[in-house]
Amino acid sequence: MARWGMVIDLDKCTGCQACTIVCKVENNVPHGSPEEQKWRREIYWNKVIAVTNGKYPRVNTQLIPMPCMHCDDAPCVTVCPAKATYRREDGIIMQDFRKCIGCKYCIVACPYGARSFNSKEQEEKEYHRHDLPPDRLAWGPWPFPSRTHGVVEKCTFCFHRIDQGIKEGKKIGEEVVPACVEDCPAHARFFGDLDDTESEVSRLLSSRGWSRLREGLGTKPKVYYLSK
Amino acid sequence: MKNGNGRLKKMMKANRSKVNRRTFLKLSALTGAAAGMGPMIDLFHPSHVLPLQKRAQGPLEEKWVVTSCLNCPARCAIRVRVVNGKAVKITGNPFSVVSEGKICPRAHIGLQVLYDPGRIHFPLKRKNKEKGNGIRPEWIPVSWDEALDEITRHLKSLRDRAQAHELLLFCGLNPMSAEDMIRRFADAFGTPNLVGGNGLDAETEKSGNWMADGHYQNTAYDLDQTNYILAFGADMLESCRPLSRFLRKWGRLRREKPNRTKVVVIHPRYSLTAAKSDEWIPIHPGTDAALAMALAHVIISEELYDKTFIKNWTAGFGPYQQLVIGQYTPKAVSKITGIRADTLQRIAREFAQTKPAIALRGNESMAWPDGSYTSYAILCLNALVGSIDVPGGILYQENPIYQEMPPVVEDDIARRGKAQPSLDFRGTEKFPAAKVVTNQIPESLLENLPYPVEMAMGFNSNFNMMAPGAERWDKALRKLPYYVHISPFMSEMAQYADLVLPSTIFLEEWGYDHSPPGSGVAEAKIKQPVIKPRGNGWSAIDILFELSKRVKGGVAKSFLNIGDDSKGFVKFRTATLAPWEELLTKGVWTGEEYRYKKYDQLFYTPSKKFEFYSGNLKCLLASMRKGSGKDFDYLPHYQGTKFLGEKGEYPLILLPYQPLMVIENGSQNYPWAQEIFLPMLGIGWDTLVEINTETANRLELKDGDVAWLESPFQRIKAKVKCSEGVHPEVAAIPLGQGHTSYGRWQRGIGSNPNEIIGVDYDRISGQSAFFNTRVKVYKASVG
Repeated sequence: MARWGMVIDLDKCTGCQACTIVCKVENNVPHGSPEEQKWRREIYWNKVIAVTNGKYPRVNTQLIPMPCMHCDDAPCVTVCPAKATYRREDGIIMQDFRKCIGCKYCIVACPYGARSFNSKEQEEKEYHRHDLPPDRLAWGPWPFPSRTHGVVEKCTFCFHRIDQGIKEGKKIGEEVVPACVEDCPAHARFFGDLDDTESEVSRLLSSRGWSRLREGLGTKPKVYYLSK
Repeated sequence: MKNGNGRLKKMMKANRSKVNRRTFLKLSALTGAAAGMGPMIDLFHPSHVLPLQKRAQGPLEEKWVVTSCLNCPARCAIRVRVVNGKAVKITGNPFSVVSEGKICPRAHIGLQVLYDPGRIHFPLKRKNKEKGNGIRPEWIPVSWDEALDEITRHLKSLRDRAQAHELLLFCGLNPMSAEDMIRRFADAFGTPNLVGGNGLDAETEKSGNWMADGHYQNTAYDLDQTNYILAFGADMLESCRPLSRFLRKWGRLRREKPNRTKVVVIHPRYSLTAAKSDEWIPIHPGTDAALAMALAHVIISEELYDKTFIKNWTAGFGPYQQLVIGQYTPKAVSKITGIRADTLQRIAREFAQTKPAIALRGNESMAWPDGSYTSYAILCLNALVGSIDVPGGILYQENPIYQEMPPVVEDDIARRGKAQPSLDFRGTEKFPAAKVVTNQIPESLLENLPYPVEMAMGFNSNFNMMAPGAERWDKALRKLPYYVHISPFMSEMAQYADLVLPSTIFLEEWGYDHSPPGSGVAEAKIKQPVIKPRGNGWSAIDILFELSKRVKGGVAKSFLNIGDDSKGFVKFRTATLAPWEELLTKGVWTGEEYRYKKYDQLFYTPSKKFEFYSGNLKCLLASMRKGSGKDFDYLPHYQGTKFLGEKGEYPLILLPYQPLMVIENGSQNYPWAQEIFLPMLGIGWDTLVEINTETANRLELKDGDVAWLESPFQRIKAKVKCSEGVHPEVAAIPLGQGHTSYGRWQRGIGSNPNEIIGVDYDRISGQSAFFNTRVKVYKASVG
């Protein structure tokens, strides 16, 4: 069984945020509003954050694209009282909307802020994207045709693409990748099997210096960052 | 308890089909589990248990359509996924060489441009004759026939009176095909007054190029092979064109070639590009030309320049060398630019010794009163190190050659109209090399210079939002006797229209496009409707075909035999490129591979060489009897910066920059772009003015304070952000917000810096200066 992971090359990344937008397009993640941003209630499955250090003129800002880290030792899985968050055999951390009771323990437990609570009411049509067909097909290529309030949601490594790709016998990591990897204009993102030494992600990790976020917490994230 | 039950019933009603385990838990918590349990358990009918996802109904009809983007002037090739008649995904077209089939984030937002809830779908006629910002136009829907009849009446009356020149055409962001059509209409109708938006942000680079090599066009760069980039005020990863190319090639420059390209950014602001570069060198605003000259000083005095190229293919090196050596020593320039002399020398050596290297220009260095000279000075650096038309150097963009249209049928009225001077003083003593001076129009309209205008038509333009001194545009538009606006949405300019015609957006119409500049290689892209137009909009091309028929005479004749409608027109024009079917399925046509070092036929200058001493400018000025005897005027140079506002009263220099998420079609009503508007600051939906922390302390401003930014002309409010990434004398503010017209995702959000920017021009090309306005910043009193 593969162990899916992502490698993000911060030297190539341009901070353009294409990943943020294509993720919203792919997964029908609701967009926010000025009010929701004020109250920090926006939903992102992938967000580029800026971390600034230093004094003028020796200032340094790092732009870090942050999907879910899909930790091997995921705190969110441990704390979930409803077993709505679970780890698939291939290492993807999933969120079962049917089981989620919206308690938000996982949001508190996640050291990466990768999870969002959907506080939008089902009746509130505004976040339904205007560009989606109303009969968007639930079990087809898209996993989330309509959404629901009151649950916690997060990045899935586009598991629907992976599962579909495996069914069709395609090479995951080459022919089939998550949406953010596919549409990254700088080719800064890579996806593949971390356990396969031949995969591009493994090759990159063995050839360059890398880091993971908050390594000290022992969460063993499966998103790796290549530095300059 | 009674109340509680009533509320419960209400909630149950609201959740009728949606009660599941979660809402169930919520409800039980609300009323106490025991009390509410009985009636609710009945609701757990199997079909209600999983309301999250409905199973598919009916067949899935899916297709991919190739077309091209138009959210900025780069016009990248895209593919659109259409499912059951709805566009659901936009991605790049791998056949495009501009960006290797990748697209920038803006292109994805095309979906929200298409499904913008604020789009207009019917022609609208104004009832309220009073015009102004905030005044309700009171639109009445009219039929296309009625609308076109009305326009035709006005157009005909101009021609009947032989006053065709009193028609003014504005051209905003349109496909090349529509631009060609609009140009043809102006030609056939007989007006010299076709005004595009290039005069705001694209012309200084062109005129700088023209002074050196005779090409009045933007520069393309060979980003695949360059090893060193020196970026003067260029936001390569935000607003430079074509953005998708810079984003894609950034990956190549850094990690997809044997040696990693070094990027040095010279900029008063720590931009996103600076953050991703290897070195950021803050510079005093507006002194880039001096720096370029000093770099040349080091390169020449240390004999690091490309002697073969200089000897064989350049002219005027002598006077240039004399000027550079005499006046621009690192020490002297260090005082002007605020960059240490040793840094300057190091950069010059790195630039000259790391081959091939590119000196790249951006608006922040060129949109100044002497912008053409800055552009010229920086281009000359490329010539010094031999980076002209070589692999990894600067390239000369080739364009597709479309099928020639038959000549315009010019009647007497048209001839007389076109003999009149143009409203924007292009090519006159005021703006000698100018092709278009967009921001001159308000003055001309308000003061009837050189004659009054009877009627204007705006094609997707939004200049009262996008041009400095925005207020003047409002006044001028109010004065226009008759204004027709053609646009897919109710932009700020549409607010002043007597008649609004809804046009289709790029995903609904036929067209062809190319990137100016792209990869160097000629590349044409097709536009075809990916879905049926959402409303009753027409494409600009179809509107012009119809109008020309109704106006009759020479105008009508000029529009014969070029296809009968937008599709026919595109088919006709692209016939020289590739078979129609191939264009529709491939979406892209590319020309021959780029040929480097075409020096013997490359330079359109008097000497047929690259000129450090501009013969082109000298000839032009001489022909206008404006030339001076001073050689200085024909050499690249820096001679101080003229600011608008006194330093004593207005201590800071306003730096209005364009973030990546600004959609350049004149609207910003797109939540995907708005919510991540300023990634470096981690916020969206707002305008933040960045001020150096120390300066802010001195001005007693804190993070989050709402402050007034006041220029000698006007003031606006913005939230303060103390920053370590801004020159101490600069107030950096993003453009793009402050819309007043339509849409809940843009109206009333942030403010528009163009309201306070003063009006000034580059005196060669007539491009607007954006960065030489001084401001003071002070806390706005609460309430």
